[in-house]
Amino acid sequence: MRPEVRERLSRLSPDQQALLRPMVHTSRGFYIGVAVLVALMIWGIFAYYLQVRYGLGRTGLNRPSYWGIYIITFVFLIGISHAGTLISAILRVSKAEWRRAITRSAELITVLVIGFGAIQPIIDLGRPDRVLNVFLHAQPRSPLLWDVVSIGLYFWSCTIYLYVPMIPDLAIIRDAGIKAPRLYRYLALGYRDTPRQRAVLERIIGVLAIAVIPIAVSVHTIIGWIFAMTLRPMWHSTIFGPYFVMGAIYSGIGAILVAMVVLRRVYRLERYFRDVHFDYLGRMLLLMSLLWFYFTFAEYLTVFYGAEPAEMRTFWSKITGTYALPFWTMAFTCFLIPFFLMARKSTRTPRGTLIAGVSVIIGMWLERYNIVVPTSVNPILEIEHAGHYLPSWIELSIMAACFSGFALLYMIATKFIPIVSIWEIEEGKEDSVREVAERVASYLPGTADAVGEA
Amino acid sequence: MNQTRRDFLLTIGAAGAGLSALGAQDVFWTTEEIPDVGWAPGIEERLNSACLICPSRCGIQGRVVDGSLVRIVGNTLHPLSRGGLCPRGLAGVQMLYHPERLASPLVRVGSRGEGEWRSLPPEQAISLLAERLQTIRGNGRPESLAVVAGYCAGTVEDLWRQFFQAFGSPNYVSDAYEDGTDSIMSLMHGIPARPSFDLDGSDLVVSFGASLFESWWSPLQAFVAYAPPGVGGDERPRFIQVDTRFSRTAARAQEWVGVRPGSYAVLAMGLAYVLIRDQLYDDSFVREHVSGFEDFPDEQGRLREGYRSLVMRNYRTEEVSEATGVPVERITSLARSFAESGRSVAVFGPDVTQAPGGLLAGMAVHSLNILMGHVNRPGGILFGDSPPLTPLVPPVLDETARAGSQRPRIGRAPPAFGRGTQALRFAEAIAGAAPSTEVEALLLYYANPLASSSHPEVWRHALEQIPFIVSFSPFLDETALHADLIIPDLLPFERWQDAPAPDSYPYPVWAVAQPMVEPHEGGTHTGDVVLDLAARLGGTVGESLPYDDFLTLLRTRAQGLFSAGHGMVLGSEFEQRHHRQMEERGWWLPEHSEFEPFWEDLVQRGGWTDLYYDETDPARLAWTPNGQIELMPSSLLRALDGEGRGQVPYVFDRTQDVVSVNGFPLRLMPYRVSTLASGTLTLQRWLAEQPSILPDILWTPWVEVSPATAAELGFHDGETVWVVAARGRYRARLKASLGTAPGNVGAPYGLRHPDGELANPLQLLDGSSDPFTGLPSWSTTFVRLERA
Amino acid sequence: MPRWGMVVDLDRCTGCAACELACKSENNIPTVSPEQAEMGRSLSWMKVLTKLEGEFPETSMSFFPRPCMHCDNPPCINVCPVRATYIDPEGIVGQIYPRCIGCRYCANACPYTVKYFNWYGPEWADSERKHLNPDVYVRPKGVIEKCTFCHHRLQKAREEARAQDRELRERDYQPACAEICPTQAIVFGDLDNSTHRVASLKEDPRAMRIVEDLGTQPKVYYLRQRE
Ligand SMILES: Nc1nc2c(c(=O)[nH]1)N[C@H]1C(S)=C(S)[C@@H](COP(=O)(O)OP(=O)(O)OC[C@H]3O[C@@H](n4cnc5c(=O)[nH]c(N)nc54)[C@H](O)[C@@H]3O)O[C@H]1N2
Ligand SMILES: Nc1nc2c(c(=O)[nH]1)N[C@H]1C(S)=C(S)[C@@H](COP(=O)(O)OP(=O)(O)OC[C@H]3O[C@@H](n4cnc5c(=O)[nH]c(N)nc54)[C@H](O)[C@@H]3O)O[C@H]1N2
Ligand code: SF4
Ligand code: SF4
Ligand code: SF4
Ligand code: SF4
Ligand code: SF4
Ligand SMILES: [Mo]
Repeated sequence: MRPEVRERLSRLSPDQQALLRPMVHTSRGFYIGVAVLVALMIWGIFAYYLQVRYGLGRTGLNRPSYWGIYIITFVFLIGISHAGTLISAILRVSKAEWRRAITRSAELITVLVIGFGAIQPIIDLGRPDRVLNVFLHAQPRSPLLWDVVSIGLYFWSCTIYLYVPMIPDLAIIRDAGIKAPRLYRYLALGYRDTPRQRAVLERIIGVLAIAVIPIAVSVHTIIGWIFAMTLRPMWHSTIFGPYFVMGAIYSGIGAILVAMVVLRRVYRLERYFRDVHFDYLGRMLLLMSLLWFYFTFAEYLTVFYGAEPAEMRTFWSKITGTYALPFWTMAFTCFLIPFFLMARKSTRTPRGTLIAGVSVIIGMWLERYNIVVPTSVNPILEIEHAGHYLPSWIELSIMAACFSGFALLYMIATKFIPIVSIWEIEEGKEDSVREVAERVASYLPGTADAVGEA
Repeated sequence: MNQTRRDFLLTIGAAGAGLSALGAQDVFWTTEEIPDVGWAPGIEERLNSACLICPSRCGIQGRVVDGSLVRIVGNTLHPLSRGGLCPRGLAGVQMLYHPERLASPLVRVGSRGEGEWRSLPPEQAISLLAERLQTIRGNGRPESLAVVAGYCAGTVEDLWRQFFQAFGSPNYVSDAYEDGTDSIMSLMHGIPARPSFDLDGSDLVVSFGASLFESWWSPLQAFVAYAPPGVGGDERPRFIQVDTRFSRTAARAQEWVGVRPGSYAVLAMGLAYVLIRDQLYDDSFVREHVSGFEDFPDEQGRLREGYRSLVMRNYRTEEVSEATGVPVERITSLARSFAESGRSVAVFGPDVTQAPGGLLAGMAVHSLNILMGHVNRPGGILFGDSPPLTPLVPPVLDETARAGSQRPRIGRAPPAFGRGTQALRFAEAIAGAAPSTEVEALLLYYANPLASSSHPEVWRHALEQIPFIVSFSPFLDETALHADLIIPDLLPFERWQDAPAPDSYPYPVWAVAQPMVEPHEGGTHTGDVVLDLAARLGGTVGESLPYDDFLTLLRTRAQGLFSAGHGMVLGSEFEQRHHRQMEERGWWLPEHSEFEPFWEDLVQRGGWTDLYYDETDPARLAWTPNGQIELMPSSLLRALDGEGRGQVPYVFDRTQDVVSVNGFPLRLMPYRVSTLASGTLTLQRWLAEQPSILPDILWTPWVEVSPATAAELGFHDGETVWVVAARGRYRARLKASLGTAPGNVGAPYGLRHPDGELANPLQLLDGSSDPFTGLPSWSTTFVRLERA
Repeated sequence: MPRWGMVVDLDRCTGCAACELACKSENNIPTVSPEQAEMGRSLSWMKVLTKLEGEFPETSMSFFPRPCMHCDNPPCINVCPVRATYIDPEGIVGQIYPRCIGCRYCANACPYTVKYFNWYGPEWADSERKHLNPDVYVRPKGVIEKCTFCHHRLQKAREEARAQDRELRERDYQPACAEICPTQAIVFGDLDNSTHRVASLKEDPRAMRIVEDLGTQPKVYYLRQRE
């Protein structure tokens, strides 16, 4: 850190100091991390080069396993993206005060992960050179087209939803003059934090928070529909829309928890990510784990009870057959681990939630695997042979590169934006206690008049 | 720290640049996407011809666009195949345009088998060979020239034989389909020819192991009989397949009867028992036309048991049931159906005869046809005519030729009633290297013994003894690789050849294969080469083959058809029916008044046929001295007595059934897959990719065992195993198949691994054979499986 | 307007697989390497599926030649994002190879698994290119392909009929597989034209369609095997 930067930083408030410090101070570990991630990405890009050069034959895909890692990763990443926007929007709309410290980091996950999610189907194309045909020859009955539209919309609305609440912080950085003055002057859009500006800003945030919820819900619903609209066993299910949204939120919370634990550790944000955050998010995770169990149970019971032969082939391949290992691992990681960890207050700690979060993330990836692969390899026609699918190193490398790419961008982003919303923390400190007191009072019988409707 | 970051970015940049230099333009499709095959609106022709890939010789039609054969379909006018084809015929285009066909004649430059060649023009290659032959003849040793020829029935075979006769060598060695049926007909009917099976006219076909839908003489003949065009439902004939393996034929026969290996004859006798016991057989036919049915005095005047007594004494249904594994009721009902249907036929072939007692077993099966009188009757066994071709000119023999022909053929004498494995006996004699059996020059025509023989090591040895080896193979097959000179033949779709229907078909059909595309420059029609050699040798050899080229020879032979006074150029079904009806009434009207238009029409329509069979002709029943069908041929009785083991026809040892041989617990059951064309499977990629749909398998050789056997041995489906026998081993994929009896190993033959390595169960055969026909025994070898 | 369809008589089918080969040859279907085949990437628009049941020797087997069903209500075409697969007014479900983006969604949507993907580009030796059918497109890598009812033959037959100023006859348009089947197990024609054989065959008591309950309305009928 250059001395003048250090000097300028010291002039700021303690919150600002703490939250802006990561932007100007970079450790050795960071560079090592970046180097590793970049190497992985280059490796993945090389793998993709081979795939494009020689054909999708370089994957482990075949007939009838037409879809594999890429589609799994697509569903998974778009699911993770529900971390930020949806959760932060819900918390904002419901005026949960404890949200203040966590919304930014969550929304950032969203924006970065959508991009990586959205390119998965393109990586999966046999003819990426013709991707524009999706617009030139759009066929509106295809769920894939609905998906292109909804993901596009989702990406832009999330980006705006990340950006707008960030404007006051950008202004703070501009004013502090600690980093790239021109960039931040440009990004801050002349925001001066006047009361009018603040009011307008909060109104826009309010509207965005509401608008973004149905968009987010639609995105994962449609992804569920990609499968549900086919007539394949264990895909063709009305539950898939909500099931996918629920799963998305679940994995999203898992991702936030992991991100928070990491950020707290490396940027020393213990003061901001407090036990209560982990406790509350842990409770949400607990709730989601129960929902997950409920949905999954309902889905499998319905299939089992109906006992249609084609469905049962897929069903048994998951329960006792080829896919029993991923299936039961999923049951373990998606339900048992998070449920038992989050059910007890003593394990709703950062460490406990980290384990639960990682477990949920792995579990939800496996859930997507268990949706995509067993159905693909079990054709409806019994007389056809069941297929098999083993991803190739190309697919695994590309997947690893996408995950690294996400982590890399996230790391780099923390160097350009405060990972905790400074102004919201400050605002909270100034106004929350009063506002909450008023609000609480307004719930209680007989006190409403006393406080007034101001 | 800034420093570090800049370095870092540089590294990324460099990596990116490197990657794009690696060939970014390849990443984006250029015009490569549609392979440029140089298509333009073309001139299209449809030419009728014949498929020469297997003995069936189906009628084909080629679609030729701008001089390329792009498609083969059936010739609907061909009476045997009627527009249908099998996968091998369809894949013919891939044989014609195979990337590995030889581009020109090759003469060896390195040492044998090393694969070093110099290419030379056909003209020179033929001269080289002609000089060699001249020398051999000049030395007065014409018999030291030999040819090993695969299946080439028709004018090609006649040409070879004539050439050898005129040259003066008895060593025309046939390495073609032998099923022993001719030996049986010869003994029982006195007719030295293979029988025809009138499947088309039959309403019940009982096949004893003959793989009618897969190989046999003509799968197409069987298909057409099984589901005749326009005939549906109950009018179709019934097929009953008696087999040791649940083959595709068994699967699609209306009924299938699984029997223990080696028990076909016992089952046939069991049926005969019921036929006789229940008085179901054709008594009047037997009395009038058959001898040996009742007890009879033999040449020494002793009274011998006749067929009836033997059967009644030895084949009580329960015993037969025990020996064959077929339930008693099944045997009875089978016999009843066979008797009740007025037009039933028992079909048999190599599956019955390729066994140690094969000749006797074949006689036992055929005796069913005789008992029912289904001989020389529609729907039964017929003795069809050959097409009335003009014979080749009588060979002219000079002194050398006459002397040479007197010399003994190379190889042990053939067995009493058959030719057996002539090629192997030939090779054994040379490998044994008795100087008198020396071969100076060996020609290989449609033969690849190093790959196809059951004893390649004997062949390898034999080839080493032969100073000059010439192969006519269009491909560098295993044996061609050991040749000194290769003069590649043209492929079937670019050469003239006649394609007579196989003996199994009751009517004479003379289809003509015509060149549909420009012949490959490096290739020469072997028929033309032989004629050319004769001309160069000159003298009596030339006089014996006075034909300019093979086409001239074919045209000359067709003169016989033109002036036969019966038959027709191939025509529609309506024309065929019309023609047949006319001939039945003794009428025949010539369609052409001159030969030229006749020939043109014949070529254009694909051939000639005569669909009239005269059942009233007694000469089609038996040529024996007494004019009767012999159930107890005296020559056979004499031979059996001579063996001194007290063996009697129609009595089979029911306890002989071996179940395992020390250390080799599984019975090897080689069978032919329908995509296979002899040993040449690797020639067509479509077929090599999927040699069978049953099991559904791609590219790799496999063996089948029952799931129970697999489990018992601890093997799982799809595993690679060694099939090990006393004589050797080969590698194959194991397939658990419900169609294989426990304890057996179903072993398709003719397959290769993708790298060319052979997987040939025939090379494991135990070497036993039928002493009377010499046919090798194919299902008495025992093996074990080992994990590979 | 004709409605093209097929009736396969399972009672006549001997599993000879000539239909598979006829289709490969007519439609320029390449082979794939052994390694690729092992992975399940071989192509065969017509596929004779088999089912072997029972304990030896009480075994039974069925053969099931399976082209594209040319569903009247094809689930495959709805899902294609670029309309690279479509149903034409005569009921033939076709593919537009130069437009297909290779997403394989249609392949997953097809309940009959009849779609094949070009995982790599086709490999033909130079000499083998001579036998390619000039009437049929050679598919590049990365696109989906499947049985087209030999649509190119319909186009040719139409042109020919028009040139000769006559109606299209049943025998004028026969796909390669139906043309070659040695036992005439495959019958092809206009399902709505009472003079065509398929029209009456589809009313046979043995007639059935597969996975009909999904409402796909396949235009390939099967006649059950007789007992
Ligand atoms: N598709 C095709 N057809 C051909 C040819 C070709 O290349 N391709 N070539 C022709 C030639 S050269 C030949 S030699 C023939 C061969 O034609 P086939 O003789 O029909 O050939 P395989 O299938 O080998 O016959 C062996 C059958 O006998 C059965 N078998 C096994 N063990 C026993 C036993 O103990 N007793 C009896 N009786 N049967 C048993 C086997 O299960 C198998 O079905 O095919 C001719 N037809
Ligand atoms: N591995 C294996 N061994 C076998 C068999 C088998 O199927 N596989 N079958 C057994 C049986 S039943 C028999 S009858 C024998 C048959 O065995 P062979 O008589 O040796 O016949 P093929 O193996 O078919 O070999 C014929 C050779 O002819 C060549 N050829 C192909 N087309 C032409 C052509 O147009 N003209 C000429 N001049 N040559 C051509 C090919 O290069 C081929 O190698 O083999 C027996 N042994
Ligand atoms: S059965 Fe023989 S002759 Fe007929 S098409 Fe097949 S290979 Fe050719
Ligand atoms: S060609 Fe005909 S008989 Fe052969 S498999 Fe195909 S449908 Fe069946
Ligand atoms: S069978 Fe499959 S590919 Fe063919 S039309 Fe029906 S859904 Fe589409
Ligand atoms: S693979 Fe091609 S045809 Fe199939 S849905 Fe995708 S773009 Fe359409
Ligand atoms: S209709 Fe044509 S494209 Fe379809 S399976 Fe038959 S031959 Fe192939
Ligand atoms: Mo043979």
